[in-house]
Amino acid sequence: MRKIAIGLVIALLATVPWIIGGRYAFHVATMITIMIPLALSINLTLKLGQLSLAQPAFMGIGAYTGALLTMHLGFPPVISILAGAAFAAAIALATGPIFLRIKGVYFVLLTYAFGQIINLIFQHWTSLLGGNNGLFGIPKFSIAGLNLGTIPGGYYALGLVVALTSYLALRLFETSDAGTICDSLNEDEMLCRSIGADAHAWRVAAFTLSAFIAGAAGGVYAFYIGFISPDTFGFQASVDLIVMNVIGGPTSALGPVLGAIIVVPLLELLRDARQYQLLVYGISLIFFVIYFKQGLVSVIERPRKLSNAGHA
Amino acid sequence: MVLQIIVNGTLSGLTYVVMALGFTLIFGIMRIVNFAHGEFYMLGAMFVVFLFGQTGIAFFIAVPIAGVLTGVFGVLCERLLFRRLVGQELPGMIMALAVSIILQSLALLIYGPAEQTIPRPFSGTWNLFGAVVPWDRTLVAIGAIAILAAFYLFLRFSRLGLAMRAVAFDPETSGLMGVESGIIYATAFGIASLLAGLAGALMAPVYTITPSMGGVPMLTAFVVVILGGLGSIPGAALGGMLLGLCESALATTLDSTIALIVSFMVVLAVILVRPSGLMGRSA
Repeated sequence: MRKIAIGLVIALLATVPWIIGGRYAFHVATMITIMIPLALSINLTLKLGQLSLAQPAFMGIGAYTGALLTMHLGFPPVISILAGAAFAAAIALATGPIFLRIKGVYFVLLTYAFGQIINLIFQHWTSLLGGNNGLFGIPKFSIAGLNLGTIPGGYYALGLVVALTSYLALRLFETSDAGTICDSLNEDEMLCRSIGADAHAWRVAAFTLSAFIAGAAGGVYAFYIGFISPDTFGFQASVDLIVMNVIGGPTSALGPVLGAIIVVPLLELLRDARQYQLLVYGISLIFFVIYFKQGLVSVIERPRKLSNAGHA
Repeated sequence: MVLQIIVNGTLSGLTYVVMALGFTLIFGIMRIVNFAHGEFYMLGAMFVVFLFGQTGIAFFIAVPIAGVLTGVFGVLCERLLFRRLVGQELPGMIMALAVSIILQSLALLIYGPAEQTIPRPFSGTWNLFGAVVPWDRTLVAIGAIAILAAFYLFLRFSRLGLAMRAVAFDPETSGLMGVESGIIYATAFGIASLLAGLAGALMAPVYTITPSMGGVPMLTAFVVVILGGLGSIPGAALGGMLLGLCESALATTLDSTIALIVSFMVVLAVILVRPSGLMGRSA
């Protein structure tokens, strides 16, 4: 009953931009749908008891790959976005088995260094990626001869599809055996492994999924904005995603969704007043970390458990 | 040429060590990765802008005052915000992130994003066997050596220093032996902020002063500490000097972005192969 009510409220919320109309409402709504998968992807790594700062790098890999495939090889945008996401996932699959051996604060620092390297490559590979000036002239997204730019809320609809798919994927993961195994791994890894769960394989799978989701969101971002540059995929983006998870609540997949819905409009509103944006961020982070660890989602849903309460 | 590389490397290495020591001290004792460490450095520089640039207090007096003010601010942060998160790595990190962005936004609100300039108390260069050494950097190096010596003497010979080493080594046993952990946390955080503030204050005339100036020293402190081992004090000293020398050698032979990529690759490799760093004990 409660679940149906929440679903209905979200469905209603999703139609709001079409009711308000206007380019600005659609822009904010589209950005929300792009940030939701990203916030979810970082949430998925939190489920493993790990905080990954590499998610913006995966987003960037998806964005650059997707844009380049359509610009240079003429791939249809849908294929490009999926290929970009797959490429990000492939990199996660290749690095995951090594990275995930490392735990706790070292994992955070490791993914941070990895993110910096990827970002420096974006900045330095001027001939292909445009360097610090960014990549211009990404064509508009079109599917079956239909240009999304010409339909009101076309990109928003695309974003909704991606956001909803990632949410469902995460929910599926949470409720499946894999999610249960990951949870029990956090509780007691020794015991869990002693009954035969291949801890490492599940972690790598989750990490790969998180990169795929981030890469797909990056692809949508590239086609929506039409321009990408390295600083979009830097440390600041990680901070944004962490804020969304902390405010919304990291214990349930609904948390980061709520977080994105609250934080993104604030981000867009304060785009030209960075000092106030940072101040609001900082104060709300302190408030939530000290007084409201389970985030806003705990008001709606009973949190299952505190999986990321430290002690890494 | 080789001598010049060594001189440049030593000059920057010494400031890296001062920054990295505070960062590693906080982690070693409180298990908190202080992402705000670069902002304490910025705070030190901003205090110098106010005391020396705007009020006109002599530079030699302004620097220690700036350091002490930053240290006091650090103690306040520890008591009000970090104390309750000791040992909780993830929430501790998020809290540090929050402090870091609040300090940046306050600096932006007060000074704006523009670069602050203060008059240079020293200029000119001198010669060391043919290597050119700027006077202002020499002053920073002398200051750094004095700070490091004081820090070493404090840790090695004072009762409080002994207690701090004990808590870093084994918090439970030292607690059983009657070491008051609260005082140790406050002292560690205060000293770390003092060191960062002093580094920022000393560097204020040499580098550009902006609200986001803490980013690069934070990054180098992070690289140094990973190299040397999180929480290890000799590791931070060794790592700082190593990084200074390597950077100075690479900067003359390679492009700076590639040098940065290489240094992050090294960090990645060190975390993967030997997470406890060159001189860290295994966690």
